[in-house]
Parts: sequence; C-alpha cells; structure tokens
Amino acid sequence: MCHSVQSVMTRDPLRYFRIEAKELVDQISAGVLDLDQQPEADVVARLLRFAHTLKGAARVVRQQEIADRAHEFEEVLVPHRDESTPALPADQMRELLRLNDEISGFVTALSAPAPPVAEPAPAEPEEPIRTVPLNAPTTQAEVDQAHVDAELARGADAASDRPERAATADLDDLLDAIGEASSRIAPLRDGGRTLNRLHRNVETLGERMRVGRTTVSDASARTSVRRLAGELGALGRRLTDAVDQVERELDEVRGRAEGLRLVPAGSIFTALRRAVRDAAEAEGKPVRFQASGADVRMGPHLLNLISGAYLHVVRNAVVHGIEPEKQRIAAGKPVEGTVAVHVERRGRYAEFRCADDGRGFDLAALRRTAEERGLLAPGLDPGPQGLIDLVLHGGISTAPGVTEVAGRGIGMDVVRDVALQLGGEVSIANRPGQGATVRLIVPLTLLSMNGLIVEAAGTTTTMPLDAVRRCVRLGPDEVATATATARLAHEREVLPFLPLAQALRVPAGEEPRSGVAVVLTADRDTVAIGVDRLAGISTLVARPLPDLAPAAPVIGSVSIDLDGNPRLVLDAHGLVAEARQESTTARGDAAAAARPRMPILVVDDSLTTRMLERSILESAGYEVDLAASGEEGLERARSRRYGLYLTDIDMPGIDGFTFVARTRADPQLAHVPAILVSSRASAEDRRRGAEAGASAYVVKGEFNQEELLTHIRRLIL
Amino acid sequence: MTARSGSVSRRVDQLRDDFDRSFAEPARSHDEEHLELLTVRAGGRPYAIKLSQSSGVHPDRPVTPLPGPLPALLGLAGFAGAVVPVYDLAALLDHPVAEVPRWLVLAAGTPPLGLAFHELDGHVRAAVSDIIRETGQDGEDGGRGRGGTLRGLVDLPGGSRPIIDIPAARALVHALAGHAQATDEENAP
Repeated sequence: MCHSVQSVMTRDPLRYFRIEAKELVDQISAGVLDLDQQPEADVVARLLRFAHTLKGAARVVRQQEIADRAHEFEEVLVPHRDESTPALPADQMRELLRLNDEISGFVTALSAPAPPVAEPAPAEPEEPIRTVPLNAPTTQAEVDQAHVDAELARGADAASDRPERAATADLDDLLDAIGEASSRIAPLRDGGRTLNRLHRNVETLGERMRVGRTTVSDASARTSVRRLAGELGALGRRLTDAVDQVERELDEVRGRAEGLRLVPAGSIFTALRRAVRDAAEAEGKPVRFQASGADVRMGPHLLNLISGAYLHVVRNAVVHGIEPEKQRIAAGKPVEGTVAVHVERRGRYAEFRCADDGRGFDLAALRRTAEERGLLAPGLDPGPQGLIDLVLHGGISTAPGVTEVAGRGIGMDVVRDVALQLGGEVSIANRPGQGATVRLIVPLTLLSMNGLIVEAAGTTTTMPLDAVRRCVRLGPDEVATATATARLAHEREVLPFLPLAQALRVPAGEEPRSGVAVVLTADRDTVAIGVDRLAGISTLVARPLPDLAPAAPVIGSVSIDLDGNPRLVLDAHGLVAEARQESTTARGDAAAAARPRMPILVVDDSLTTRMLERSILESAGYEVDLAASGEEGLERARSRRYGLYLTDIDMPGIDGFTFVARTRADPQLAHVPAILVSSRASAEDRRRGAEAGASAYVVKGEFNQEELLTHIRRLIL
Repeated sequence: MTARSGSVSRRVDQLRDDFDRSFAEPARSHDEEHLELLTVRAGGRPYAIKLSQSSGVHPDRPVTPLPGPLPALLGLAGFAGAVVPVYDLAALLDHPVAEVPRWLVLAAGTPPLGLAFHELDGHVRAAVSDIIRETGQDGEDGGRGRGGTLRGLVDLPGGSRPIIDIPAARALVHALAGHAQATDEENAP
C-alpha cells in the first residue's frame, strides 16, 4: 500500500495540488468579483486567506510562478485589510483580476496535459491560456477572440478536471451507499454457509439410504427430509430478501454515481459574471449581474457549450442592451443596469434565460440592416417579432464592418449554433426601451430527479416529484364522480381530473375503487391526476426516450427499474395539458350527452334574482333548479346531484353562510362547489364566506353576468 | 420435467444437432451456399428471418407499454441498461392479432430496435438454391408486406416461407416513427 502511494506521489507530485489549487482559484475568482460588486471587509479577509493558502501550497510543490502571483495578490489586498468598507481604486481592482487570470492560467495549464513519467511538469506553459481578456478590449474582434479563448480554456478545463471537482458531499453520499450495499452482502455469505451445511446433511442422508441403513419408510428419515425441506425453504426466503436488499442498495449506488456525472449550472456563473464585469468596465457602464438556479444539474458537456454561448449573450446584453448612464437617467431607470441569468429545469429540458433592463433591440436598425442584406424586401413589414426572428435566423451578422446590429447578430449566431447542436431552441423576447430576454431551451440527456412512483391499472410509472403539490385520498364514489365529470373539487377550486390509466391508454378496472388524486402544477396550471395507489418516492436518473419510440406527450422520459426494465417517467407539462384538454372536451361534449352537464341549484328568496340568475344560466346552456330558502335548498341538494350551488346570503331561516357550511359538512354534498351571491360587499363577509367553504363570492351590486359565468365555468362539474 | 411434449424434445434435439453440426462443418459453406434462418410465426403466419440481419433473439422479455401514436409500437424493453423500442412484426406486416408476441429479435444496426413475433419454430440452414424470388421484384403479389418488408421465399420442409428483410422492416419503422434512416447500410448478405 505504502509503496503504491509513494510511487503515485513520485510519478505525479502535483496530483493533489491540482485539486486544491483549482478549488482555491475558483474561490478567488468568485471573491474578486464579490469585492468588485460589493466591497466588504470579510471579502478581503477571505481573499487574503485563499491567496495565502495557495501561496503556501504552491511553494511546497515548487510552483514558483503561482506562489509569486499569489504573493503579489496579497500585497495588493493587505493595505485594505482593516478598512471597514474596502475601497480599491480601479487600477488595483484590475491588477487583482489580472493576477487572478494569470494564476488561473497556470493552474489550468497544470491540469491540461498529464505530465509524462520521469519528466518534471513544464514549469511555464508555452502560452498561458487566458480565460478572459487581460486588458480592456478595444474592438469587437478582440473581444470575440478573447471569448473564443475563454471557450477553449473552459473546454480543456472540463475535459481535464471534472472528476476532481465532483462535490465532496456527493462523493460522500456515494461512498455511504456503497458501504450500505456491501453490508448487505453479509447475509448472503451466511446463507452460503447454511447452504453448505444443508448440503452435507443431504449427502449424509443420501449415503445412509444408499447403503440401506435407512429407507424412505423410516420415520427418522422422513423427519430429516421434512426438516431439510423446512430449512431450505427458510434459507430461500432469507436469500431472496438479502438479494432484494442488495439490489435496492446497488440501484441507489447507480443512481448516485450517475448523478455524479452531472454538474450544477452554478459552476458557469462565475465565468458569466466575469464576462459581464469585463464588458461593463470596457463600456464604462455600471452593471449588476444576477444569477439564479445554480442547483440545476446537467451534463458537463452540455453546460460547457451553453456557457460558451452565454458568454456572448451576457456580453451582448451589457454592450448593446444596457444604455449609457445618461440615457438611463433620462429614461428614469436606475443608473446601474442589470443582467440576470436564470436557469430552470422544465421537465426534461433546461431553460437558460438572460434578461437585461436595457434598451432592447433596435428594431429600426435591424430592419435597415436586413433590407441592406437583402433579407427583407423593402416595404415589407414582418412585425417586431419577425424582425427579431431575423436575428435568430442568421445573416444579420454578415453585415460588413462591426456595427451595433452586427455585433449582436454574431452573439446570437453562436447561441443559435449551440441550440442546433444540442437539439434545443432559442428565442428572444424584446421589450423596446425595457430590455430583452434571450431564452435557450435544451433537452437534458441524463437527468437526476426525485420521482413519485404511482400505480394505475396495473402499470407502474413515475411522476416528477417537484411538480407534485399534494396527494389526496379519494373514496370509490369520489373516484367515480371525478372520472365521470373530469373534474375534482379540491380546496375550494375545481381542478381538471384525468385518470392516469386514461392518459396511458390502458383500460381501467370496471369496478369503482378508491384511489389517490395527485395534484400537479406545471405551466402555472394545476390539475389532478387519478392513480390507484402511491408506491413510494425514489431518486432516479431519467433518460430520453429512445429513437424510434414516438410517445404520447404525457410521457417525458424513461428510467431503468431494479430488474433492468424500462419504467416510464411522466411529463408534468404533458399531463397538465392533457388533463386540461380532456376536461374541456368533457364540458364541450356535455350537450352531446356523452357527459351530461350537471344542473345548477339557485337558492335565493328574491323571485327577481332567481329568475334573473336562471335566465343567465339557461342561456349559457345550464339546467337550473330553484329554491326559495336555505331549507328548501338543502332539501333539493339532497334529492338530486348538482354541479354547483348558487346561493344568496340574506334569507329568512337559514342564511347562505349556513347553507354553504351545512353542505360542506355533508359528505354527500361537500364536493359540490358553492358560490355566494350577495349585496354585502365587506371584506368581513367575504372572509365568512370563505370560512364557510364557498368557492367564490360575487357581489350583486357589481353583478356582472360574464364574471358570474366565468366563476361557474371554472367551478362546475 | 420429462418430455411432456415429445415434439419439443425432438425439436430441442434437432436444434442441438444443428448447432453441433454447424461447428463440425467447414466455415466456407456459411457464407457461400447457405443461409442461417430463424423460422418464426408472426400473427399466426410462418416467416423466415436471416440470422445475419439480427443481433439476438430473446423470449419473454418484459416490454413496458408506451402510449403513443403507433399501434405497432408495443413498448420498451431493457437490454443491459439500454432502452430498446419493440415493434410487433405482425402489425408491421399488416396482419395484427390481439395476442401479445412472446419472442423478440434485435435488429442489426442502429438505433436499437426490437421486432416481436409470436412463435419461434426453429433455426435452420437453407441452401441458397432454396431461396426463390430473392429480393422480391416489384409487381409481385403474394404476401408482400408494407414497404417491401418481405423479400423472397425460402423452400423448407413443411412449406415455403416468406423471408422478412430486417433492414426493410427497420426502414419501415424509421418511416413510421418519422426518424431519418441512418446512411450506413445494413450488412445485407
């Protein structure tokens, strides 16, 4: 053991330094940008600590260049150590960034080629790889070249050191899971021993029979055989259990190991932030960088490509989007511009958004350029979005000379190429005078997710857990009603209800059974999906459906279960869309008698109101029953199934609040939504209505036919 | 466990003999004068499949149904961590039956593709001279499937069988699934 460690150390003395230095450089890079944006004393202290650690470590492994620069870095910062709000002049800030880049270049160079045996690592790389321009760029071409360099650097970076950067916590989890799996082997080993013993017993028994000392009619032989059978049975069960457990643990191991291949989106934020900072400095514009969604994980290759493209996008936002200070002030905007990058997982896609609060795209200039380039027939008006789309379709950037429009076009060309390469889509939302948002959506090949395992009509599938709001147990009657009406009353709202069996095109059992409604939210819409039962939660790695397997939109991806068989992973967006559509169809078809629309019960002591409401509802195609008091309303409610109650508040006898509360308390009626219609408009009354369980509250004074019908359409079963 | 059905054990013996013989014979005859064929039944009809066009035959592989636009797509099966779409041969040949196929043959080439059939009759070696109407000409009638999936007939004891051309079946699936056919051609002996 000692020997091998020793030999590793002699062969590659920098092995551990590379890991440490890489981490320190990452921290220093982020720290410098922190300091630039929000000068705080503890940032200086932190940077000094990192630089000092790096200096020490570099000296140990004789990386003098790195040690020297870390030292210079310290020298710049030391005078500011005791300032409560460190105030670094711009040239010192630039010096820090320069040193940061140099250190970063040296460290990257250490990792790039594996040093050959018996040859010292090259002390000085032939050409230090620059991750960002060392000096403020003066031309578009220079900046673009710097970005190409940065992309290259990042590519090398990712190829060489990704495994070393796997988060320690993830590795710990993986090791735990492996340990757990190993510990499950012990029962198998015990089982092996037991099996050997039983084997010997059987052989002894066989031997005795062979020599005729024992015959099958022998009572003791029968006892032995019975005992053996019993022990074998028990052993079989134990082994089955043990194997099951090992399998589960190994599955966990595999899930975690696959997860390690993925890196968090946040790992590209520092580079983006730096690009924004450099561009802002070059342009002399104060710009703030914001980022969110750092935890979304995806494949390193994908992230690299996107990072390269987004460097252009954020830079474009600063250079072409954010206005000069004077213009911003004149436009009533904050002096400091904002460029925000947001990463989000949407089903099996990742969405990258870059939004700025600048001037937006110059449509007039775009049109001129497009006409000059012959991309647009003069006089033709493609509309604002049409002009923007021209940017995405290329050609704009081929304009001679580096103009404002062409500059933006080049950046968009890169994004478009990346989108094409990754099978994704790019779009631009332009808000003239307010800013622009560039959105890139790419499919994720491997995706680590938490899933809710559900069963429906004998089929097991997985729902993405992050879309699940809650699960509601349903009795057989409730399942039947929800299925028949394609609606489910839930928390004073009626949700579209879609039995999963129907979405999966598998025949559901004919017997109405109890089940579970899984309430899902996606695309700002909420629906309920009916399943037979929940079968647990698991971490899984979802992969895209294979080629040659076109599937319904409710299917998002596929994972591999414990037995090596594919298990479908549902797509929340697809389910929501289908449930919404089925539900609408069910309502639309109502007149066609496939699903008769349920009648509405109107409860009001005023004849005028009753008649008015009836005429509104009937002309909207509903069947209406009337009750002149709360008591009569309750009686009718119990004698017929209604889709909705529409009730007045002030009535002789029981009032509307009581009517609603009583129907809520009756398990047979509780699922029917109720709307209160009253001339009372106070907040207190609305609150009481909500407390009683009313789904909506309509004020008679502001009585609006459309509003009422909107409520009803939203609610009615 | 003893011969419940004599025909099965006979067939096993025959398969075993065929298998053993294939080693005993000089290799040249494989390529030159003989074709290795799987004799199968899909949707109740007899067919033959060239072994060289497949990369494996599997019984009773669990197939996860996949709801979607193609009735011929039975679902997905797992093979060593890969997810393979499985199509019903009988449905591809335009005579689907309700019965779920038991066997599946993996088509050679990429992307992965499984073709399911109902029964495996056996594995035979047929002389090239027994193949008639090889690479079926257009205008032929009897039993040609959609997209020219059937190419030729083979005369075997017990009758002649249409030969399912796996690359053609793959091309049909690619067309159904709206997937561009890979440019590299299958190895088609």
